[in-house]
Amino acid sequence: MKKYKFFTDFDREEKWLNEMARSGHQLVNKAYSYEFAEGSPEEANYRIDYRTFKNRQDFEDYRMLFEDSGWKHIAGTKSSGAQYFKQVMDQGDEDIFSDVDSKAARYKRLSEMWLSLAGCFIPLFAVLISTGAINITAFVKPKLLYFTPGLWEMSGTHFWRAFLFETPFAFFRGFGWVILPIFILVYVIFAYKAKKQYEKTQQGH
Amino acid sequence: MKRDKNLPLTETVYYILLALLEPAHGYLIIQKVEELSAGQVHMAAGTLYGAVDNLLKQKLIQPVRSEDSRRKVYVITELGREILLQDYARMRHMIEMTGMLMDQGRGGAI
Repeated sequence: MKKYKFFTDFDREEKWLNEMARSGHQLVNKAYSYEFAEGSPEEANYRIDYRTFKNRQDFEDYRMLFEDSGWKHIAGTKSSGAQYFKQVMDQGDEDIFSDVDSKAARYKRLSEMWLSLAGCFIPLFAVLISTGAINITAFVKPKLLYFTPGLWEMSGTHFWRAFLFETPFAFFRGFGWVILPIFILVYVIFAYKAKKQYEKTQQGH
Repeated sequence: MKRDKNLPLTETVYYILLALLEPAHGYLIIQKVEELSAGQVHMAAGTLYGAVDNLLKQKLIQPVRSEDSRRKVYVITELGREILLQDYARMRHMIEMTGMLMDQGRGGAI
């Protein structure tokens, strides 16, 4: 079974995965969606770390350390960031962190990732503005976005058909770029939320 | 004398450096720290990984060649040893001072 869900809070995500296990759904993979295998209901303990690795060897070493400590690595790749672990029955610790600083630090790494993602889009946006690819005048004179010859001289059905046909094209021509600042804004919001979560966790709540 | 910016070390960092006077991989560090601290300090996997990562960045420990291709092995560096000794001296001084003043107190008031 596949499920699409989005979390900005690791603690909530862990709780949700434990609830899913309680209803007989075991996490087997997480890429864009959560993949669950049907099984018998169980009390599971899932934990999530956030980390990326320079090379395969570092990633392997990381996974071995967790495995030695009683945590099965369920999902996550060298550069995916989120790493999902499941406690091996009655072995080792209750949590993958033993102090609040390290438990909070994963939110700091997450926040930095969102910020750098936003940072990637900013130069692109700047280039589009400085090269004139973004047409600000379109806001004032949207008529300029229509290229059909003689469109504005037409009338009746003729006009409406041509006008409505071109509108989606004109829209993307003029406002397609809006997606960029929206992305930047969304990433900055996620970075901010992760930062807040970092501060909250560090205070031990 | 100007004190190093790494001082004072936290309890966990002190024990990790102490454990790495001999080369060890991640899980062995956890076990050694627990043993050295008489069961007082138990580090979970995620916490130890982060601590080791920081110590590598600060160059207080370094990776060494390992027989086990899947587990990285670390050892303390010269700098790490120096810092560890400085922190040891710092704590020994604290203990001496405490002992001295406590003894005085016992002799005087009680």
